Amino acid sequence: MAYAIEIANLHKTYKGGWTPALDGLSVHVHEGQIMGLLGPNGAGKSTTINILCGLVAPDSGHATIFGKDCSKHTLELRKTIGVVPQQIAMFGNLTAWENLRYIGSLYGLSSKQVKERANDLLARLGLDKHADKRINRYSGGMKRRANIIASLLHQPSLIILDEPTAGVDVQSRAMILDFLKEYNQQGKTIVYTSHLMEEAEQICDEVVIIDEGKFVISGAPLQLIKNTTDCKRLEDVFLHYTGHSVRD
Amino acid sequence: MNKILATIQKEWILLRRDVAGAMLLFLMPAVLIVVMAMVQDAPFKDYQELRFDLLIADNDHGRLANEIKNGLRQSQNFHVVDSIDGKPITESQLQTLLKAGKYRVGIVIPKGATAEVVNAANMVANRLSEKLGMGKLPARELRDSMYVRMYFDPVSKPTFRMSISFALDKYITYSCSNLLVGRLSKLGLSQTDMVLADSTGSDDFKRIFQGIGIKEEALNDKGSMKLFINSVQHNVPAWAIFGMYFIVIPIAGNMLREREERSSLRIQLIPYAHNFEALGKIFFYTLICTAQFAVMCGIGLWLLPHMGLPALYLGQHPTAIIPIAICIALSATAFGYLVGVVFKTATQATPFGAISVVIMSAMGGIWVPVDLLPGIMQQLANVSPLHWGLDAINHIILRNGNINNVLPHLGMLIVFSTVLFLISLYVNRSRIHSVQ
Repeated sequence: MAYAIEIANLHKTYKGGWTPALDGLSVHVHEGQIMGLLGPNGAGKSTTINILCGLVAPDSGHATIFGKDCSKHTLELRKTIGVVPQQIAMFGNLTAWENLRYIGSLYGLSSKQVKERANDLLARLGLDKHADKRINRYSGGMKRRANIIASLLHQPSLIILDEPTAGVDVQSRAMILDFLKEYNQQGKTIVYTSHLMEEAEQICDEVVIIDEGKFVISGAPLQLIKNTTDCKRLEDVFLHYTGHSVRD
Repeated sequence: MNKILATIQKEWILLRRDVAGAMLLFLMPAVLIVVMAMVQDAPFKDYQELRFDLLIADNDHGRLANEIKNGLRQSQNFHVVDSIDGKPITESQLQTLLKAGKYRVGIVIPKGATAEVVNAANMVANRLSEKLGMGKLPARELRDSMYVRMYFDPVSKPTFRMSISFALDKYITYSCSNLLVGRLSKLGLSQTDMVLADSTGSDDFKRIFQGIGIKEEALNDKGSMKLFINSVQHNVPAWAIFGMYFIVIPIAGNMLREREERSSLRIQLIPYAHNFEALGKIFFYTLICTAQFAVMCGIGLWLLPHMGLPALYLGQHPTAIIPIAICIALSATAFGYLVGVVFKTATQATPFGAISVVIMSAMGGIWVPVDLLPGIMQQLANVSPLHWGLDAINHIILRNGNINNVLPHLGMLIVFSTVLFLISLYVNRSRIHSVQ
């Protein structure tokens, strides 16, 4: 199976940073996979995502998406990837529909395409009845779902989600996870970060655990649980490899 | 009390951590005080304390013209310009220079002015000789049309005209009188004789004695410019431009909000979207600003006349105002966009945006005409886009100019806007990657 993402020996130290954010990270993601990028706070997950979507340039090493270098083909790659940021990156004073119409037009979609895709995604994520409500008036869960829809309008082949279920209720989380699984079944590759191990265990084909900017271990969740001593859950595996000490 | 102190402490920490914002809170008012003190110094001075370039077209080439020019040269109020590139200024050249707004005031000494004064001297001598029983000198009736003509840049305010007119009149009358006295002395008449002759108190005699008079004439042959110089003609365009520049507050506020709510991140993630979004913002706010200017002109045209004020006159080429308004709006929007990009917090953007507009407007002649500003401020006015805009509007509505007269102004406003926009794009790009 071809790689959707290849990350090789990535190094990144921010200006004024005490320690490297990435310290020789190497990761591969197969096409059509749901890959969970896991790690404690400060492990380098967000830096990795920012490098993949061209918001941050690495000091050394390289990252490719579908064989194209993320630093050199940033604009081209942004057409094929959908990034769901951790923050609700939408215009709060616009309704969901107004947001999607604007974002769709910036992606170069026709009005018809925007309408069809937005209606479909709004319905699938349970927001069709709230499309004319301002984002500011949405609940936390609704905002998260709207944030995902906005990132998928251009039908990307690869979706990168940074903690898409942070702070949402159980119902919204279930809806989001079901949606991601369904989306993945259409052949799309999904990279997903979360601190919720149970969630990762539930939807990921493979997880990669990183810590202090370095690769720690990867594998299918069940395989990792099986192969790690005294571990019954993915959370145990995670703690086994990353330790119990609190991260700054 | 502790709770209040705790709040004060918290606010102090927050302010201290926004160093740029804190500095701007002090720096901007400091700059404002310096600029406004210099600008507002002018209205506290009499116009006669100021020194102006005075164009002189000498069609007389006689003794009177020389007397007038020498008298004016000795004055502290005027810097006499009677030739350009070594060639004497002609009347039409003088009018062209004034219409272009390069000078504020000019006088034309008519052909035969010296002869007229000599004739006046002969008439005075004849009056005296009549009283003293002496012979008569050749003299004809005075020509009423013989005046030193005074032209003003139509933008000049009535108070300015009055002051300059008074000062000029004083010097010209003095020169005429000198010439007259000299002439009569040569005839062997004393000043006592003249006083005796003047004791008749006739107005006619006084008129003769004064030599030739001074008269203000309109620069434009399409009608008297005095009709157009009023508070409405100055204030409506000036304050409309000032108001347009306040678009900086909503634009910068909007951009800061978008950065805070992270919707700007969404734009960054869409290929090429940032450039389109920037252009869309510029275009939209330019339209809003232009509409704002149109509304202000509408107030001058239709509302102010109902309040006992004259209606705004848009000149003979009112359509030329449209591209000017668009260019001013564009420059205001580009400035607002730059402020929105450069500043990171509302504490920084709001005082800078608001006070910088006040400073630029003061420098640009919105508050006090540029001519009355100190030398350094007049130089600085040349870099204020508000000045370019106001001067362009004045060309149309006061100098009756057309679009060709304001092309340099439009060019400067467009270049200014483009430069600011490119800087904004550069700063924004640098900011996106600054985390690297």
